Amino acid sequence: MSNSGNDGNAGSNGGNGGGNGGNGEPIIRLRDLAKSYYRGSLEIPVLTGIDLDIPRGGYYALMGPSGSGKTTLLNLLAGIDRPTGGELEVCGYRLNDFDDNELASWRATNVGFIFQNYNLIPVLNAYENIELPLLLTELSRAQRRERVLEALQLVNLTEQMQHFPRQLSGGQEQRVAIARAIVHDPDLIVADEPTGALDAKNAEEALNLIQHLNEELGKTIVMVTHDPKAARHAHIQIHLEKGVLDRTVEVHELPPREPLLGGRVPH
Amino acid sequence: MLQFFFILFAPYLAWLVWAAFRYPVPLSYNWRSLWQRWVGTLATMGAVAIVVMIFVVVRSMATGVAKTYVKSGREDQVIVLRPNARVELMSVVMRDQARLISTHPLIARDELGPLVTADVVVTKQVPLADGTGSMSVSVRGTTPTGIRMRSQVKLVQGRWFLPNLSEVVVPRRLLGKYVGLGLGHSFAMASRRWTVVGVFDGAGSAFDSELWIDADDLVQAFHRWNAFSSVLVRLRQSENAQAFIADMERDVRLRLEAKTEPQYFAEMGDAGKPMQILGQIITVILTVGAIFAAMNTMYSAIAGRTSEIGTLRAIGYRRREILASFQWEAILLTLLGGVLGCACAFFFNGMQTGATSMMTFSDVGYAFAVTPALVGQGLAFSLVMGILGGFFPAWKASRMPIVEAMRGI
Repeated sequence: MSNSGNDGNAGSNGGNGGGNGGNGEPIIRLRDLAKSYYRGSLEIPVLTGIDLDIPRGGYYALMGPSGSGKTTLLNLLAGIDRPTGGELEVCGYRLNDFDDNELASWRATNVGFIFQNYNLIPVLNAYENIELPLLLTELSRAQRRERVLEALQLVNLTEQMQHFPRQLSGGQEQRVAIARAIVHDPDLIVADEPTGALDAKNAEEALNLIQHLNEELGKTIVMVTHDPKAARHAHIQIHLEKGVLDRTVEVHELPPREPLLGGRVPH
Repeated sequence: MLQFFFILFAPYLAWLVWAAFRYPVPLSYNWRSLWQRWVGTLATMGAVAIVVMIFVVVRSMATGVAKTYVKSGREDQVIVLRPNARVELMSVVMRDQARLISTHPLIARDELGPLVTADVVVTKQVPLADGTGSMSVSVRGTTPTGIRMRSQVKLVQGRWFLPNLSEVVVPRRLLGKYVGLGLGHSFAMASRRWTVVGVFDGAGSAFDSELWIDADDLVQAFHRWNAFSSVLVRLRQSENAQAFIADMERDVRLRLEAKTEPQYFAEMGDAGKPMQILGQIITVILTVGAIFAAMNTMYSAIAGRTSEIGTLRAIGYRRREILASFQWEAILLTLLGGVLGCACAFFFNGMQTGATSMMTFSDVGYAFAVTPALVGQGLAFSLVMGILGGFFPAWKASRMPIVEAMRGI
C-alpha cells in the first residue's frame, strides 16, 4: 500500500483537478460540487464547480488562503456538511442521498477525524476518548479494549492511557486524537490543520504519524493545512482560491521517514 | 398525576432506557460533566431536593393522618350516626333510638353486658401551652363499656373517670401541649370544673386527640338530655356487619346510617385532604421553578460543550444518541436532587404533630409517615423533573448543526 507520493497524475488546473496520488479507483469523487451559505435570501457561494478524484490510499493536502473554502470542502467530503449542488461520492456512497442518520452511520464507519484543537472530551481519559468511535460498533468490551490498546501503542501513549486531556501535552493530545481517528479502522482520515496548535517538534511527530497511517495502513488522508512544511508530507497539494480549484501540485520531494510507531491495527 | 405522566411518556422512557444500553454516549461522560460544573449542579440539585422533600413530607402528612384513623377501628364494630352526619360531632342519635339499638340480637356481649356504648362528642377550646392561642379539642363522653371496646386505648397514669365527679382522662400526646391538662390539674368547661384524674395512650389512634369524660356527666353539663352523638356496637362476628347496617337503615324507628369503624375512620382520614391539596399547590409552584432550574443548568451545560457535541456528532453519534445522552444527564442531575430530598424527608419520619381536621374542626394528632412507596414517588417525581427540564436542552443539543457546533458557536 505504500506510495511514493509522486507517481500520480497531478491532473490539469481547473478541470478534473485530482491526480491519483494513491492507487486504484477513486475513494472520493466530486463532480461540479458547490456549497453556498444563505444569509436571508442572499446567497454566499463558498465552493463552486469542484471536480476532484482522490484515489484510495492517497494523501492530499488542501491549501489556500483563509476563506478559500478548503475547510468547507473537507467538511463536505467528511459528511459533516451538505453540498448545495453537484455530486459527492465518498467511500463508494453517494452522500447527496443520505439523510442525517445515514450520514452519521456512514461517518462512524468510514471517516476518522483529526482536528486542530484535538477536540478530545475533557472529562474522558485518553483510553475513553479513543474508545468513543468503537462504542458505535457491535464490538464487545474485550474487543474494544484490544483495539484501543493497539491504537494507544501506535501513538506510543500506552502509559498515559488513564490520563485526562488536561494532564497531557498538546502533542500527546493530538496523538490521542490520531488514535481515536484510526481506532475503528476507517478508510478515510480527514485532518483539519492538525499541526496548527503544535510546536515544530510535535507537529513533525504528528505529521509522521499521519504519514504512517497513509503508508503503512493504507488510509486515505485529506488534510487542510496552511503550513507548507506539513503540506510537503502529502502526495498531492490542492490549492483552492475563492471557492474554486486553483491548481494541483504533485509533491516530488518527500520528507525523510521516521521509524514506524507501534503496530498495525488489525482489520 | 405522576401515573398519568408515566403513561403518557412511557414510550419515551422505554426508549431512553433502551438508548442507555444501545450505542450509548457513556454515562460516565455525563456524570463527570455534571461535576465539572459543580456549582450549577449543586444549586440545581438543592432546588430539586427541596421540592422533592416538600412533596414527600406533604404526602407523608396525609399518609400519617390516614394511618392515625386506620389504627382507630375494628372490623367487628359498627358506629351508628344520623344519616349524612359523616362525623360524630355532627350527629344526633336520640336516647330511645340508642336504647333500641342496644337490644339488637347481633350485638356481642361480654361478662359485663352487651358491648354497646352511646357517646356524646363536643369540642372545647383549650389554650395552647406555648401561649400562641387556643385550639379546638374533641371531648368524648363515654361509658366504661366504651373504654373496654376501644382496646387500643390504655390507661398509663392515674385512673379512669368515675361518674358524677366531673373527672377527665386525657391522652398522653396532649400533655404539655395545652394548658391545664396535666394530671391533677383542672379546667373549666360548661360551667363546671373538670379534674384530670388519668392519662391514657391511644397507640397513635384518633383517640389520642380526645379528652374522655363520663357520658352522663357530659350530658348533664351540656344539657343534652335526649341525644347522643353516636352509638358504637361490637357484633358477634364481623360478617354480621352488613346485616346490622341494613337493619339500622331499614328500621322505621331508626332510619340511621351505620358504618364499620374502619370505613368510618377511612372517611375521617380524608381530613388530611385539604392539607394535601395545599401541599400539592405549593409543590406544583415549586416544581415549575425546579424544572426551570434544571433546564437552565442544562442549557448552560450545553452552551459550554457545543464543540464536544459537534465532535461526538462528527465521530458518528446520531442526533438521537445526543438527545438521550443529555436527557440522561438532566435525569441524573434531578435524581441526585431527588435522593437528597428523600433523605431530608426522612428526618420528618415518625415526628409527631397535629393539625386541625376539616371534618371535626378539632385538633388531630398524627405522625409523619415516610413510607417506601412515598420515597419511590419522590424519586419518580424527580425523574419527571429531569425529563421535563432536560428535554428541550437535550433536543437543542441534538439539533445543532455539526459544523457550527465544532466551531463552538
